[in-house]
Amino acid sequence: MTKYLEMNVKSLLTNPYLIFWSILFIEFWVFMWVFVFGSGIPTGEQEVRSYMATAYGNLLMLSLSGACVTIGNSVLYASKSIRYVTKYTRLSPSRFLLENLLSSLVALLAISAIMFASVLAAFYSKFNLFITPVNPAGLAASLVLSTLLIYALSLFLNLLIINLKAPKSANFISFLPLIFGFISYSALWIDFKAAVYVSPFNCITSICYYTASGQIPPAGNFFAPSGQTLVDVNWALISLVAWTTILIVIDVLLLRKMRGVGIDEIRIA
Amino acid sequence: MITSRGLHVTYRWRQEPVLKGVDGTFDSKHLILGPNGSGKTTFFRAICGLTNTTSGEIVIDGRNVENLYATTGVISANFQEVYTLLAANVYDLIILYTDLSKADRNLAFDIIKDMGLELDFLKKSKLNELSAGQQKIVCTALALAMKAKHILLDEPFEQLDPAKKSRMIKLLTSYQGAILVNTHETWLLKNLPEWTVFFMFEGLLYGPVSVKELLKAEISLKEEPKALLRVKVADKTISILKGHGAGTLLTSLENLDKIYELAEGTA
Repeated sequence: MTKYLEMNVKSLLTNPYLIFWSILFIEFWVFMWVFVFGSGIPTGEQEVRSYMATAYGNLLMLSLSGACVTIGNSVLYASKSIRYVTKYTRLSPSRFLLENLLSSLVALLAISAIMFASVLAAFYSKFNLFITPVNPAGLAASLVLSTLLIYALSLFLNLLIINLKAPKSANFISFLPLIFGFISYSALWIDFKAAVYVSPFNCITSICYYTASGQIPPAGNFFAPSGQTLVDVNWALISLVAWTTILIVIDVLLLRKMRGVGIDEIRIA
Repeated sequence: MITSRGLHVTYRWRQEPVLKGVDGTFDSKHLILGPNGSGKTTFFRAICGLTNTTSGEIVIDGRNVENLYATTGVISANFQEVYTLLAANVYDLIILYTDLSKADRNLAFDIIKDMGLELDFLKKSKLNELSAGQQKIVCTALALAMKAKHILLDEPFEQLDPAKKSRMIKLLTSYQGAILVNTHETWLLKNLPEWTVFFMFEGLLYGPVSVKELLKAEISLKEEPKALLRVKVADKTISILKGHGAGTLLTSLENLDKIYELAEGTA
């Protein structure tokens, strides 16, 4: 590994946009979920566990969507440098992708861990219950998968901007993950039915819900007493893995092809 | 050796091409002299594979630039835009790039210190927070420290004070390898007598001519049959010929932007 790995981890973890949008902003919603929206829920352990799994799954998905924007922008703004270093230094395109992926995973997993700790602490504070995940190894694995998908998607969108030479669309396209995240968030009130399997964001929420609570997740309309469509977690997992694999393959191809966009072109656009 | 064959570059569809068929071979120390906007920087970007070419090719040591990946020691350049891999301070960027390119880190720091920049200052500053001259020093030091076979330096003297310009000239003349410097400043010629010069006007490359021949060369607004070079500027043919006392001395222009004033008769 080169110094890039270590320095990119440091750069991401000290990025003020990442800290604000993926941690501080979402912490506000943790507070709202626990102390405002959660004031009317039954206080039995099973009910609190389901509610906590819903909160964690959805807030994590929003937090990672926000991080996706920051990671994507860091690639967009460095695109000329990426082209140069992958050609004239020992960081080949595949090695760059590996080191960029690993460093992003470290940052995204750190965010996931902070989110989990704060949800745990907030629920303990409100309900006096220390609720650990039913399947911690499964939850950890699903977090890794989720962060991989988020990384691959953010890289794909930004490489698309670069390859299409469309810096004018940079603002809109780089915020697409956050928009997708909020669309997925609407599943709290809308039953997505089979569309859950098409949306990798809903798959993240479902898998996290399942591994944290041990219960089969609904495809939406989380607060309805009954009648929701239930998600087949295996299919959600297959969908998530398929999305991630396809996006990473496309990322490698786009990375070799791209010439980079100058910072001034993005600013002027 | 860098070879450019029939290189055309157009930035946007239906726009006037920036490079209109550039042919040339570069294997030692060369200046590319041309006014601002003549396509010099675009040509350097194309050599590095940093811009799309419409047609033609760049071959570096027998390999098409499109096929070069993870190849250290072949090319380095001083474009600021290629040293922005991370939003780190300048000191850390130097550590990063010298690690990635197996460059001589001490040489980079020595050049930077010699040019009057303190390392403590670099630890507190990001590249975009430096002045244009300081950015140029850092990027040129990194390009030189990579000890590549071919170094491309885009306007390395711009924004430098006379003392730093003099130090930069010493660095370039003592470098063991091929260097291409693009500039619009003609004062440089007398300091680099062993180099050869290509001219670039309106997307076309002319030359080479040795600096020694150019030191007393004159510019004529006529199509002279015995000219060293004939170039097209603003739809007029301008001849650069050995001095005989009748024309304007090339070195008296200060920079090549003034050639347009000559061509239009406003000088």
